Amino acid sequence: MIVLKSSDGETFEIEEAVALQSQTIAHMVEDDCVENGIPLANVTGEILAKIIEYCKKHVEGGGGSEEELKIWDKEFIENIDQSTLFNLILAANYLNIKTLLDLTCQRVADMIS
Amino acid sequence: MNRVNSLSDDPNWTSLPKDIVLDLFTRLNYNDRASLSSTCSTWRSHGSSSFLWSSLDIRAYEFNPSIAASLAPRCANLEKLKFRGVETADALIHLKAKNLVELSGDFCWMITDATLSMIAARHEALEVLQLGRSELITSDAIRVLAICCPKLRKLHLSRLRDVASAAIESLAEHCTQLSDLAFIDCMDIDVEALGKVSSLRYLSVAGTTIINWNVAIESWKKLPKLTGLDVSGTSIYNIDISKLLESSKSLEVVCALHCPFVSYDRVKGKALLTRFPNIFDELSSIFDEKPKDIFSYWRSLIGKDKSIDEKMHWIEWSISLTLQRRAELEGMDDFWMDHGAKLLLILLKSSQEDVQERAVKALADIIVIDDEDPRIDLARVDLVLRGGGIRLLLDLANSSREVLQSEATKTIPNLAANAEAAKAIAEEGWINVLIRLAKSTTRLVAVEAIGALWSLSEREECKTAIAQAGGVKALVELIFRWKITSHGIMERAAGALANLAADDKCSADVSRVGGVGALVKLVRDSEYEGVQEQAARGLANMAAHGECNKNNTIVGQVHDALEALVKLTKSIHEEVKREAAGALWHLSFHENNRESIVTLGGIEALVTLAKSYATASTGLQERVAGAIWGLSVSEANSIAIGDEGGIPPLVALAKSEVVNVHETAAGALWNLSFYLGNALEIVELGGVPTLIQLCSCSPSRMARFISALALAYIFDGRVEEMVGARTTSANVYECFFLAAKARIHEAGHIRCSGPEIGRFVTMLRIDCPTLKSCAAFALFQFTVPKARHARHHASLMQNAEEAIALKSVAADTKNPPEAQFFAKFVLRNLVYHAAKL
Repeated sequence: MIVLKSSDGETFEIEEAVALQSQTIAHMVEDDCVENGIPLANVTGEILAKIIEYCKKHVEGGGGSEEELKIWDKEFIENIDQSTLFNLILAANYLNIKTLLDLTCQRVADMIS
Repeated sequence: MNRVNSLSDDPNWTSLPKDIVLDLFTRLNYNDRASLSSTCSTWRSHGSSSFLWSSLDIRAYEFNPSIAASLAPRCANLEKLKFRGVETADALIHLKAKNLVELSGDFCWMITDATLSMIAARHEALEVLQLGRSELITSDAIRVLAICCPKLRKLHLSRLRDVASAAIESLAEHCTQLSDLAFIDCMDIDVEALGKVSSLRYLSVAGTTIINWNVAIESWKKLPKLTGLDVSGTSIYNIDISKLLESSKSLEVVCALHCPFVSYDRVKGKALLTRFPNIFDELSSIFDEKPKDIFSYWRSLIGKDKSIDEKMHWIEWSISLTLQRRAELEGMDDFWMDHGAKLLLILLKSSQEDVQERAVKALADIIVIDDEDPRIDLARVDLVLRGGGIRLLLDLANSSREVLQSEATKTIPNLAANAEAAKAIAEEGWINVLIRLAKSTTRLVAVEAIGALWSLSEREECKTAIAQAGGVKALVELIFRWKITSHGIMERAAGALANLAADDKCSADVSRVGGVGALVKLVRDSEYEGVQEQAARGLANMAAHGECNKNNTIVGQVHDALEALVKLTKSIHEEVKREAAGALWHLSFHENNRESIVTLGGIEALVTLAKSYATASTGLQERVAGAIWGLSVSEANSIAIGDEGGIPPLVALAKSEVVNVHETAAGALWNLSFYLGNALEIVELGGVPTLIQLCSCSPSRMARFISALALAYIFDGRVEEMVGARTTSANVYECFFLAAKARIHEAGHIRCSGPEIGRFVTMLRIDCPTLKSCAAFALFQFTVPKARHARHHASLMQNAEEAIALKSVAADTKNPPEAQFFAKFVLRNLVYHAAKL
């Protein structure tokens, strides 16, 4: 299990497989600096919760079929307000979660066009 | 634009890191990028990043010198450019893209030597030049190209008349890096000179007609680096190929597809691609392993071995070229069924965009039987379907490449002709994608997507899917967004809406999102007949479906709608007149509309239209008769129609063998015949025998019923006095009961007005047994509980007088048994409806 600490002091305990979807976290685990939990100074608790929700769903082999995941993603991304979307992009960028960054950026692109 | 502005309110989107902003830009088409760049200076500067301006594909966009000039400041480091057509080619130099490395263009048939020379002169760094169908180019321009662009590595030209030795020698002399050369579908090439281009690794002369093979082989075997040769579609012989393969150490692959004089031959250590399925075996000799599925195997290995990748890329390119050219020819049925279709599906997954484009175009070509015959070859569609083609095409439509999106989408209308394929199309998720593409600001993409929606919306199962995915709203918004002169878009959008409006549930959606206003806008403002036709059809369907009267009110209330429709009945185009008449027909069911139509000169217009029945299609005949029927409900209108001269054409139409036509004509005559003047005219024109004929012989029970009623009106005692035809009255009686037994299902659809019901009640009192029976029978049809408008009719007969008249008929034993019987039933029906009211 890995512990993540948000910028506003919330802690989240999640399975390693879920957390490793973030390349940033994966590097930290490799470099073995996760003793007391990982502080994420750039991510608030609210956003971190959303990110964890996404990562849990997308854990390899756990979430469901490709079709189901697509539908879930659509629901996920369409039900958040602009402020959350904005912060998710920044957080996904910082945490280096490619699929989430893709999803959020595409959402913004769709909104613009 | 509004949405983008609101994005800048809260949160502060301009504070996004640059690389994310650039990622966003790459997901947008050029129009949207331009919009985004103009929102604020931060994004303007991001939008000018050289990252976004290193490669451009302007094929989907309009381009001219002034547009080029405005883009020039950002194109200083432009490396790759794809363009289309001669106008764009002429304007290219204004981009001042001095560092351009790759230039490729299609539809180049009007590009002249002068243009090409100018382009060459201004782009000295050019390494790759590909021009499709560059028919007007001559050797002179090639010489200029060679001199101006010494870094040229890859040159592909096609359809040249001749390529002289001077040109090729010039290339050999100046372009020392030239490794990939193709002269495709040319007439005459100096093959000896080709032997002097010693840097060549890949050479294609596919489709070239005049080649002296002996000379060619002698020259080419000296090329030290020649690895791949494409002679597909030429008159080469086996012996020439073997000679070359034996004498050239470097040569590894020869493509000789569709060469009439070549048969398959195994040459050790080399790959000779002559026909399918052998080419798969041959290709496997390039790899160390012998995989079954060559292309997926190779694609999983891309990047590991550059020289194999280079060969396979070139092979993919050659095959796609050959297949695309062959797809444009007719015949070759076995080939496509056995291997060709499968190969095209494999090529759809290529990593090279131009290979994918050719594969899609070829697919589109092979599923249509031929140019003359637009019918679809269902067997081939089946093949595409079973090979997973629908999904592959969807992936292309989902790519961000606009030309690919448009080509993939173009295949859908034809594929949908096969019912199973249509089902797969809906299930794979095409509808959502089409709706998204339909909203694109790029015309090339939008027009094909809307066209596909038009085509899919013809199928019952797709209508609901389209409506549920938000298609109706999207279509209506489109109509307001694009200029009225965008005929292609407007016609397709109106066509799709018209199809959707033909479904009761979907027509409610159309109404709810302002679809009626959109259709009226087109009917009123568009000058193109295709648009007018579809929009009028849309209004006709809206009026005929959903809650009939509700839609009718809505349409009638839209300003200018009825006026525009009346105007369209005077169009010179048959289809426009037909749909306008159809719309007026359905709209005339509503009283307010009737009044408006008449005020707007509808009667004159429709009667004039009716008079030209001899040259009209049966569809038009039916609708104009129907519209006159609709208007003829009131006395004033009936008389006006008669005065205008409406009766002769109607009597003529009643003689039509086409059921729909004589049915509606009979309906109009039925209403008109109530008024003496009209009735007399009908008799004088010989309408009676026609009506009797209909009454006894028409395949339509409704027609028989209506014509009997018309006869009943004519012979209600008044006319007979003048004409003295008692015997005809007896005929009527017989015909009447030939016409009907018990319930006539179709009669249930007729909606009578108060005065019409009143007439029947009046007939009950006339001292003529035939008429009493007819009237009682008619009222029975109109009030039977299952009839659509039964309750409405019953509500018109709630007064005491009607009941009295019915009771008296029922009770009087002097009346024929049918009269009594039906009168009793009508009374029962009235009681039934009264309880419900």
